[in-house]
Amino acid sequence: MTALLHSAGLVLMIAGTAFLAVAALGVWRLPDLLSRLHVLTKADTAGVALIALGAACLAQSFTATLSLLLCTLLVALSGATTGHLIARDHLDFASSQEDSP
Amino acid sequence: MMLFDSVIAAACLGAAAMALFARDRIAAVAAFLVMGLLVALSWLRLGAPDVALAEAAIGAGLTGALLLRSARRVPKASAKALPPAQWLGAALLSLAVSGAILWTALIVETAAIYPALVNEALPESGVENPVTAVLLNFRAWDTLLEIAVLFAALAVIAVVKPVHPRIAPLGPMMLPFARVVLPLTIFLAGHLLWQGGHAPGGAFQAGAILAGGAIALGLSGMVRPIRWGRAALAGLAILGLGAFVVAALAAELLTGALLGYPAGAAKAWILAIESALTLSIAATLLLLFIGPAERH
Repeated sequence: MTALLHSAGLVLMIAGTAFLAVAALGVWRLPDLLSRLHVLTKADTAGVALIALGAACLAQSFTATLSLLLCTLLVALSGATTGHLIARDHLDFASSQEDSP
Repeated sequence: MMLFDSVIAAACLGAAAMALFARDRIAAVAAFLVMGLLVALSWLRLGAPDVALAEAAIGAGLTGALLLRSARRVPKASAKALPPAQWLGAALLSLAVSGAILWTALIVETAAIYPALVNEALPESGVENPVTAVLLNFRAWDTLLEIAVLFAALAVIAVVKPVHPRIAPLGPMMLPFARVVLPLTIFLAGHLLWQGGHAPGGAFQAGAILAGGAIALGLSGMVRPIRWGRAALAGLAILGLGAFVVAALAAELLTGALLGYPAGAAKAWILAIESALTLSIAATLLLLFIGPAERH
């Protein structure tokens, strides 16, 4: 059981790292701000959640799982909110440019 | 872990270079924030989780908020290259500083007498975390002066009254965000404050996190900046220093030693002082963000 959880944890963490790597690749390669935000907010949150899940499998303790859950919640919340704020600011700026050429 | 440490060290240097050389101010501040987080990670690897927490909360978190708030008012860096004399001066200075650090590390090999002394006296301190024992008991005098310095900084800003740009509400998503984050920060601050007695944590970290939550609420536009009650916040900012001084004098009366807590009650004294300090540090940092004085 412990060995199974251990390997499951490793697989989950590798999957999470892959998500984060894809997010980084997207930020590097995608052409404009909105599509970069699109890849960043989603892949980032998923990556952190998967890594936290994997770490919880490895730690196998209730208190550690609780802190990891809190971390994931905060990352998900702040990631989504900052993504929204950056996009909003970008759109505001773009429309102000159109109004006053 | 050697590889991991080298990657972190290289990334710190890279982020620092980006912060220095980025032409855009926002990008420079972002690079500075990343560097703060990497430095926090380095402190963790060096076995100093207390410093790591403080660096993440104050160095990366609140300083970042303050810098971002002022970034737009600083003009873009000029495209002109620095004169060679300035490059040479900076290079010589950093070489001298690095040399001094290296020299100290090589010559002073046995600076490790303090851990043994602290561990020996730890049972008398009232707390189990050696860092808190040093900060709030053995060297409480230093911490008292540190709080005085923090208060002096706030006082200077209140006197100079720099123009603080109005805090514009950040849109409808901020309020739900603050609704979740503010209770969590209060909870976390209390946890860190209590945890400081036996594990990494303490007043500085707790205060910084509390201030972060309050700033999130401020940015939601729910509380108008005018109605923050700056007088109340300033009162809170004084509270920490005041309580610390009163505690020092009371301890002097009771035991004859300045900040020498009565035997057996040290934990209660430390917790009382740290609670006052947490509120006070949070109020001070919040005032630094919203501006300590109304400008007419």
